[in-house]
Amino acid sequence: MSQHQPLKGLGVGAPSGGGPALNQGGLLALAAMATLLAGCLGTMPVPWAGLNRQLEQAGGHRDPALGDGWLAVIEQKGGRQQVVLIDLKQQRPVAVPGLNRPDALPISVSVDARGERLALVRQLEGRTEVVLYRRGLMSLQPIAMGPGTVPTAVQLRADGRQLAVQVSRAGLWQIDLLDLP
Amino acid sequence: MARSKSARAAGLIGALVISLLGGGCQGTGLVDEGLFNRRSAAPASLASQQRRDPALSGNGRFLASIVEASGRSTVLLQEQPSGRVLPLRHLRSHLPHSSPALSWNGRYLALVLQQGHQPLAAIEDRLSGQLLRLPAPAGARIERLSLAPDGLTLALQLVQGGQQRVQLFDLSALLEPDRPGGLRSSNPLP
Repeated sequence: MSQHQPLKGLGVGAPSGGGPALNQGGLLALAAMATLLAGCLGTMPVPWAGLNRQLEQAGGHRDPALGDGWLAVIEQKGGRQQVVLIDLKQQRPVAVPGLNRPDALPISVSVDARGERLALVRQLEGRTEVVLYRRGLMSLQPIAMGPGTVPTAVQLRADGRQLAVQVSRAGLWQIDLLDLP
Repeated sequence: MARSKSARAAGLIGALVISLLGGGCQGTGLVDEGLFNRRSAAPASLASQQRRDPALSGNGRFLASIVEASGRSTVLLQEQPSGRVLPLRHLRSHLPHSSPALSWNGRYLALVLQQGHQPLAAIEDRLSGQLLRLPAPAGARIERLSLAPDGLTLALQLVQGGQQRVQLFDLSALLEPDRPGGLRSSNPLP
């Protein structure tokens, strides 16, 4: 994390109650300002500069999904889109054999906290489907969504045991919850 | 005797098949149709109204989503499975909302909201009552976000120069971790 650079423009807002009283004399105001400044400098989000640079150089990316120490993201490169899983500690992609297909278009991806399970909505052979990928097993399991239901986005619970799916059904956007073994 | 051997072989094959099925049919790529002792393979619709962008807390207790209220996209936080709607201190305005994300125990709710004409990433700390605002880097517009389950890393999907890109930010100097096992805070609400 030593390579991180502070992000400009952060604001941390206290909801109510106001800030410190700054109208009790010059010295007090100066002290308060110094305290505030020190506090602000110590409380900025820090970009992952090295990794952000790597991502930028690798092409376009969308639909980020974070686990604890993992980033799943859809990479757009050379006219092709594929899911990439990045180990944030190592700051490098890990292999996900069997997850991507050259004839499939990934729509939405999600990862559990441990980076073990990934859920994916993809278009394949003219239909949209949800699949669950288990990295340790290198297995890919389609999940049936029922007739008349088109999945459009997924979010995997951090423990990997439940899946929330945004679907289009009978002209409505809805959310389905599926328990996973 | 031959018949006995044949029966035993059939039994072994049957046991093997049952064993494979009991093992979750790992790696077979079969379509899930409730074969594998799944507790609920059938999707359960939550409501008839328009809703999208689901986000579950890691412990499964909370579901955040975006609903259409009076034509505006608004974040809705519900307890599961009761569906009870939970109040949010700061997020009744700055519409439209999009892309909610919850930390492990639901302490942090991150989302994209509108401030003026600019989308802004924000994180409401439901324990301390604070709202953290994170503007887009210069020249970029925030489209989506993801918050790590422990709340310490934020990913922003940005559009800059017509290209979508993702940037990560370390929030560990700003937020306490929200990990499995319960909430902790150095600044609890009274």
